[in-house]
Amino acid sequence: MLVVTHEALNPSVLSIIAEHLVDQPDWSEMPIIVLLDGAAPHAKIRAELSKTWPRSRQIFFQRPVASLELLSGLQSALLARLRQRDVRDHIEREIELRRELNHRVKNILASVTAIFGMTRRSATSIDGLADDFSGRLMALSVVHSAIFEAGGETVDLADVIGRTCSPYRGNGENLIIAEGPPIQLGRDAGTTLALCFHELATNALKYGALSRPEGRVHLTWSLTSTSDPTLTISWIESGGPPVAKPSKAGYGTRYIRSALQGLLGVPPEIIFHPEGLHCIAAGPFSRLR
Amino acid sequence: MRSPLAPLRIFYLEDNPLIVFHIESMIEDLGHIFAGSASSFAELKMKFDTFQIDGALVDIDLADGRTGPLAAAWLQERGVASIFVTGQTEVAAEHAAVALGTIAKPVPVEVLGEKLELLRKHVKSFG
Repeated sequence: MLVVTHEALNPSVLSIIAEHLVDQPDWSEMPIIVLLDGAAPHAKIRAELSKTWPRSRQIFFQRPVASLELLSGLQSALLARLRQRDVRDHIEREIELRRELNHRVKNILASVTAIFGMTRRSATSIDGLADDFSGRLMALSVVHSAIFEAGGETVDLADVIGRTCSPYRGNGENLIIAEGPPIQLGRDAGTTLALCFHELATNALKYGALSRPEGRVHLTWSLTSTSDPTLTISWIESGGPPVAKPSKAGYGTRYIRSALQGLLGVPPEIIFHPEGLHCIAAGPFSRLR
Repeated sequence: MRSPLAPLRIFYLEDNPLIVFHIESMIEDLGHIFAGSASSFAELKMKFDTFQIDGALVDIDLADGRTGPLAAAWLQERGVASIFVTGQTEVAAEHAAVALGTIAKPVPVEVLGEKLELLRKHVKSFG
């Protein structure tokens, strides 16, 4: 904000202020209070200043000016200036959000590209490719909604499991029995785990416990109460057909190994137990926040 | 497609596990060895001594921020050459001194195969 007397406005001062005004950022309209002598040519000065000083908010007072009047003029000019700063903050926040959005969209597209590339790699038919790919995209979309509804940064593990595994119900009964304490996961950890559960569940439906009506999955998790707690997640299948170790690791097994190793820093244990597949992952919870 | 020469041990610094998963398979398809991955510069520093690495693929934006160029410089000081793998090729270009090259995402397997051969000349054990 600037307070100036009209006598001070020589050509050099006029042009220095004009330059400053032109260089202002978009949100700014600087308040300028001009104190005019009673004998000064008011109309001419106003006309000239509004021409020379673009993007300024000019307020004129005739001298002598009552201190109360000047004070209230200054206050309203300051308030206007504060509102401009608010606008500036909003603009900066929006630029930051757009950058973040761009980053996330790029990241999602990269994820989808990777899912497609890997699904294609292990596909044996076009129908199989289409089913597997859309199933994986759906799992990604479901966990995205869970995270968004939870505020965008963290998500509850039970919620991720509930949504990812909800298609796997028989006669209204949960075939995947999930049990564990409330745990808030970071956005990325939640996404990775959801995709792992999706792979485990679809595998169980095709070849494992969920391919038989009496088959069940016990999905449990726990945290140790140490200073750097360890999270353990166990997926234990039972009641399905006898399990044999596949000759070649498919997408699901490979993804779960790679993703959980990356997430926890330790590879998961995947055991092709004859009575049902076991997948046990454990690692420092601090990595999942 | 497979490299006719000795396999290289490739480390991958990337924070998106799906991309790690995809590139890991490509590295193996090309006849090389996937030596491991880390999602941040901090994790790389912590894990570095436990890995045997001939060369590294490095993303620009990692879990601890825009630390890819720092990580590549850090690896260079330890005699490990890097190649940037990123959607931000203009940022990679600003840090060209710390990497042998850049691969734009998404990564075609042929391009990956070609660029990995660049690393071979810089592997310590090959002189």
